[in-house]
Amino acid sequence: MTAAALDTQPLNAGLLGDDERRHRLAMFGLSVPAMLLVALVLLVPFSWLAWLSLFDASGALSAENYARLLRPAYVNSFVSTLEVAALVTGVCILLGYPVAYLLSQLPKRAAQILLVFVILPFWTSVLVRTYAWLVLLQREGIINTWLKQLGLISESLPLVNNLTGTVIGMVHVMLPFLILPLYASMRAIDPVYLRAAANCGASPAQAFRQVFLPLSAPGLGAGAALTFVLCLGFYLTPALLGGGRVAMWSTQIADAVAKFANWGAASALSVALLVVTGLILWLMKWGVRRLGTSLGER
Amino acid sequence: MTSGAVSIRNVSKAFGTFTALDNVSLDIEPGEFLTLLGPSGSGKTTLLNVIAGFERPDSGSLLVDGVEFITKPPHKRDLGMVFQNYALFPHMDVFNNVAYPLKLRGLAAAETRERVRQALETVQMAHLSGRRITELSGGQKQRVALARAIVFEPKLLLMDEPLSALDKNLREHMQIELKRLHDRLGMTTIYVTHDQQEALTMSNRIAVLRNGGIVQLDTPKHIYDRPNCRFVASFMGETRMLPVGRSGDGYEFAGRRLKLAQPPSAADAQWLVVRPERLGWHGDEARDNRIDGLVVDVVYRGDSHSISLKLPGDHEISIRRAPTEDKPLPEPGQTLTLWLKPEASVLVEEAP
Amino acid sequence: MHLKRLAIANMLGAATALFMATGAFAAGETLTISGFGGNLQKDLRATLWQPAADAAGVTLSEETQDGLASVRVQVQSGSPTWDIVHLGADECAVGGKEGLFEPLDYNTIKTDGFDKKAYGEHWIATNTYSVVLAWRTDVYKDKHPTSWADFWDVKAFPGRRALSTYPQEMMEIALLGAGVAKDKLYPLDTKLSLERLKEIKPNISVWWSSGAQSAQLIKDKEVDMMAIWGSRVASVIKDGAPVEFTYDNGILGYGCLAILKGSKHVAAAQKFIAGVVSPEVQARIPEMMPYYGPTNNLAFKVGKFSPDVLAKSNMSPENVAKQTFIDANWWRDNNELVREDYSLLISN
Repeated sequence: MTAAALDTQPLNAGLLGDDERRHRLAMFGLSVPAMLLVALVLLVPFSWLAWLSLFDASGALSAENYARLLRPAYVNSFVSTLEVAALVTGVCILLGYPVAYLLSQLPKRAAQILLVFVILPFWTSVLVRTYAWLVLLQREGIINTWLKQLGLISESLPLVNNLTGTVIGMVHVMLPFLILPLYASMRAIDPVYLRAAANCGASPAQAFRQVFLPLSAPGLGAGAALTFVLCLGFYLTPALLGGGRVAMWSTQIADAVAKFANWGAASALSVALLVVTGLILWLMKWGVRRLGTSLGER
Repeated sequence: MTSGAVSIRNVSKAFGTFTALDNVSLDIEPGEFLTLLGPSGSGKTTLLNVIAGFERPDSGSLLVDGVEFITKPPHKRDLGMVFQNYALFPHMDVFNNVAYPLKLRGLAAAETRERVRQALETVQMAHLSGRRITELSGGQKQRVALARAIVFEPKLLLMDEPLSALDKNLREHMQIELKRLHDRLGMTTIYVTHDQQEALTMSNRIAVLRNGGIVQLDTPKHIYDRPNCRFVASFMGETRMLPVGRSGDGYEFAGRRLKLAQPPSAADAQWLVVRPERLGWHGDEARDNRIDGLVVDVVYRGDSHSISLKLPGDHEISIRRAPTEDKPLPEPGQTLTLWLKPEASVLVEEAP
Repeated sequence: MHLKRLAIANMLGAATALFMATGAFAAGETLTISGFGGNLQKDLRATLWQPAADAAGVTLSEETQDGLASVRVQVQSGSPTWDIVHLGADECAVGGKEGLFEPLDYNTIKTDGFDKKAYGEHWIATNTYSVVLAWRTDVYKDKHPTSWADFWDVKAFPGRRALSTYPQEMMEIALLGAGVAKDKLYPLDTKLSLERLKEIKPNISVWWSSGAQSAQLIKDKEVDMMAIWGSRVASVIKDGAPVEFTYDNGILGYGCLAILKGSKHVAAAQKFIAGVVSPEVQARIPEMMPYYGPTNNLAFKVGKFSPDVLAKSNMSPENVAKQTFIDANWWRDNNELVREDYSLLISN
């Protein structure tokens, strides 16, 4: 009976199964430190924040912290944050796409050298760069002085301490975040597609618009999403170059932490930002796919 | 299809110090299926790219139906092309890929639909017109690429190793299909491959290229049976080259005077072209050329046995023994006598 | 110069003697004090904290904080590592209301010579700053603005202006500019104030958010006139920029000290604070921290100052009369709503 039962057991199945499980466990083990870190520095504090946001100053469960977000000051800064992020992302796309395209069409070596210049701003602190823009852009700054000396303008242009200055400063910081993923995705586009388009009768402009652009759309989407989301959290640059006019959500969060009587209020702001960010990312992902398809079908 | 005559004149192209095309001239008849055959680096793909307009030659002329094409940008050449890895646009479905050349030509939607349908039917893909490219198998992609290349009825169809990514069975099947399609559509076709079997199967003529130049341009039969040099001969089939010596006004191998049906391609011929399938087990001492060898090993291959022989002068050849052969299977160490008919005995020299 | 140093030495001696008598038993304790850091904290330590610590017989250890939030974290932890915190007056008032601080012992800490707005149950002001009207002398050569009414008069005084992104002092300025009397400021008429700010908004080129930024604005001629901290504009003038300012109509704000709830050294901290606000120690401010002022008026009785120092000190009897004290308690109760309205106004 026992011998017969053993006979039905496939040979070494148990041992091989254990081996497979051990192998998987070892692979899983490699990711444990990183996962613990994420849990520790991200999930735990964030869950705590989300939990705090549900209580009012007296410690009672309440929606007060979220109701506060509907007040005009918050709605205004929320909308303005989205507007600034969208504007900066738009300008980054206009400036960054041609650069990424040029880099992707160059020989690899030349492109790598030029990429260093794209990454160069990463090596300087944001604070230093922001102050540098102030020196360049202000009323008695270098640019206005030159323009006046050249006789091109008689009155200084309002280049800084407003939305213009904020966008210039933020674009400078964000451009590499757009160019790098875009460049990577453009590099991955096989040049044979452009030949195929030309062979089908597409002029270089048509081939670019109908084939290259849609194929680069995923990279563009990734870069734009990254840029947009990072813009939502900007604090320093708008504060220094916006002249106090550019209300950012992050400023409200900092204010709430510093000034309000409890963490709940600030937590609610952070939770709202996170939810909206997630929503926007999801919409963008969906939109990029639609864009790629519709460009292809036109 | 009224025409599609191609005339290539003195085309040269160098990449740095490497000569890709060395003063190539070639005339292709309207409706002809011409194959550019050669090993990698022989210049066959460069020549095709020059015709398609993707490569600007250093000098030369390209006439299509008497019109100079050499400076025309690729999108104005109206040539259909099938690329090595198909180059189907991944962001478009099958229909839109095939419709793309028609849309660029401004055809009305209804006519576009009809012609795309016809093209897809021609390649038996009409039922998959809504599929995404990523959902297609290699053979299906191949057919869609072909449909895209022929949908606007070009005078000239270019194919760059279109079957190289397919497995062996499908490749052989597609060879026959491509040939039938060409017979039906009748458009001039220039086909690039490094596979001699493909070239022999499909072509009206084959141009064998080497080091940027055309070595031999002829029909498949002539290329195979009457190679004009050692390079062409060894490129076709499982060929062994045996060195021959002069003997009076003739030639000899292993001390025996060779009986030849045709004069050699050149007076100083140095090699006897030996193809396993041309070696006979039976022969006539008076009529045929006799070759003796020592059996080295015998390998079973399913449909036949492969027998390796060592010839005088340390040359090795191998022949097949079909199961229908009535002579007994030799054993290693035995001496075996084989026969080569005079009409199958071809002499070539090193270079044409 | 020699005389001056001698006077300081005398004061220090007197202060030491005074506190040696009462505070000797606290010797050996270490008080941890947390301030805003930077040059301000360095100056405060040299001028006020060190002599008071010496007099109380304690050792001082310094930390820095960035506002009330970090104080909350300290107190909520149950065993704060800080004993004393240096904050802005309204933050002290808010913290007191939230129960973050120990009550001050006004038997030990003497408030003679203090304005009534300058101390509360849990906190006491230790130094003052002024928000003043400053202008470029190269822009306003013949006729310069002299009041907040002039700041609002864009016809008589055209030019680019700057105000702070924080409503404190700005709300007061707007009302003073509208002609509200100094002693009728509080409770602030926020509606009128916001209306006035809306009116001047098109002429505000920059809303500044940090002291360094405010100084740079007037120094680089980014703006022609502005509301700015006296200490900041002083350094701009010292650098040689063609800038002037007036204490007329200025707003006086405070820095204050409070003892964190749960501190293990409350008694020593009370003595330390008593030393900081004593006339003798306060009298060091006009000399050592020009453009800041003592909160204790008696400092001007204890110390002997040159006319130049008196002219510069924002708290000299002559200058203090020109200005208005901020009401920390009003800001404690109204801060949140006013901030929202204010930020909406400037960014919309």
